[in-house]
Amino acid sequence: MGTENVGNDVVSRENFQPCAEDIQRWMANAFDMAKDALENGEVPVGCLMVYNNEILGKGRNEVNETKNATRHAEMVALDQVLEWCRHRDLDPRTVCERTVLYVTVEPCIMCAGALRLTNIPLVVYGCNNDRFGGCGSVLDIPSADLPHTGSSFKCISGFRGEEAVEMLKTFYKQENPNAPKPKTRKE
Amino acid sequence: MEPQPKRRKESECDFDSWVAYPVLSNEQSQDTELIEAFAAPIINKKETSRLIKELAKVYPLPGLLHIKRVRSCKDKGSPHPLEVIVCLASDAPVIDHSKDMHISDLSSSGRLNCEGLGDPFLVKIPACPPLTRPQFEQASKHWPTSFHEDKQVTVALKGQLFTSSQKAKMQEYMMAAVAAARAGQQSGMEAVGAAVVDPEAERILAVGHDCRKGGHPLHHAIMVCIDLVARGQGGGAYTYDKYPACQSVLPYSSPSQKQGASTMTTCGVVQDGDSAEESGQPYICTGYDLYVTREPCVMCAMALVHSRIGRVFYGTASTDGAFGTKYKIHAQKDLNHRFEVFKGVLGQQCEDLNRPVPYIKMNS
Ligand SMILES: [Zn+2]
Ligand SMILES: [Zn+2]
Repeated sequence: MGTENVGNDVVSRENFQPCAEDIQRWMANAFDMAKDALENGEVPVGCLMVYNNEILGKGRNEVNETKNATRHAEMVALDQVLEWCRHRDLDPRTVCERTVLYVTVEPCIMCAGALRLTNIPLVVYGCNNDRFGGCGSVLDIPSADLPHTGSSFKCISGFRGEEAVEMLKTFYKQENPNAPKPKTRKE
Repeated sequence: MEPQPKRRKESECDFDSWVAYPVLSNEQSQDTELIEAFAAPIINKKETSRLIKELAKVYPLPGLLHIKRVRSCKDKGSPHPLEVIVCLASDAPVIDHSKDMHISDLSSSGRLNCEGLGDPFLVKIPACPPLTRPQFEQASKHWPTSFHEDKQVTVALKGQLFTSSQKAKMQEYMMAAVAAARAGQQSGMEAVGAAVVDPEAERILAVGHDCRKGGHPLHHAIMVCIDLVARGQGGGAYTYDKYPACQSVLPYSSPSQKQGASTMTTCGVVQDGDSAEESGQPYICTGYDLYVTREPCVMCAMALVHSRIGRVFYGTASTDGAFGTKYKIHAQKDLNHRFEVFKGVLGQQCEDLNRPVPYIKMNS
């Protein structure tokens, strides 16, 4: 670990992309997490952060137990990545610059901001987040002109999107049978 | 924050030195959009009411209910005291511009009896109803427009929304944020501070400063404050024991506490299981105000939306700011929570934080 060529990190960050099989594999993992959450009555969102073929962060929404409305799965997973770096005395920036977020639902505006600030280069996600989506649905944070807010990042969207929507629908139907048309939400 | 009457120069600062201006939505702050229309003088006053009725039928102006169809042109030296909007330029038949235009060109194949109308001319009229007094004044220069004034917005735009005693309180809260920013700066952080306030109880519930240099790139002052409020209510994801200037205080949860002095506790100690449980929702900042020395970034702005903050006050704008500069997250369409944002509170002192202030002792 920590063997990356840091010297040309700008180039490597921009060209950084895992191969198609890796994306398949890690997204399958994220969907398994979401299914698992659904079966346990939790919001069916799967989220993992992968660096060098290793899962550094595996988040789930912790808003209720912390009473902190910002504890979305992505924020929890980012904390685990930072913790991992701290244990190994690695610079979080150099690690984050080679870390991919795989998540079943589009990150919200806040999380998209956090991903910029931590220099995550790539996010692969399933369905859109119509209510809070920060990667195009409400605002497009990854490609916005925000020179003082970390770095822009790339997104691969729509990966098994319908399946992700279905899981959310199932969850909100269970939670409130009288609910109107379910929306993709992550709270 | 514990009262510290004579701490630093700015505690004597006069609260007339700053003005809090509202950060309005784009719809409220943009210039009036104009569209072209044909107007014509009414040369026979007796035809006026017939003309108005017929025009409403032949050339209705849907979506332009704010436009007054007839205007008086008393100060134009015109021999005819009234002018009327005939139709939008886009509704008019294609016109040969090489010839002078005649009112019969707009008769819509005779459906409009042009009797009593003079020859038409182009005018520009406001496309949308004015939302603020400046927009109304601008719109009225082009064509008379009706205006349903929101008096509070008018007063706020003049910087007169808050009374002197409200400003004194606001200044006190922002000074707590400034003090936290300075304390953070002393421990090597960027000089940004924030405070969450319960405006009903007139109490500061949490004070925090930027903690990024402490090893976490997302510990902006606002994120710290939100977590401190959560911790004050028995939740929280972090401890900030390393930073004595980051503190939370118990919210009022019992009448006995309400009478007592504010109990400031360092964050690790506070446990209050009951009060936050009532709603079952983690919207912990509902009804609270946030004071922050500079305009928040997009992450922090959205964190405040998620936390259902009541109002936000900031000192100075920032380059990537999300409450006015790059975005207006508080007025963003599609988001489920909107709130008021004011800027300029203690503006100069907050601006001064951007300059390095070496070796200022903060002890009191
Ligand atoms: Zn989020
Ligand atoms: Zn921020």
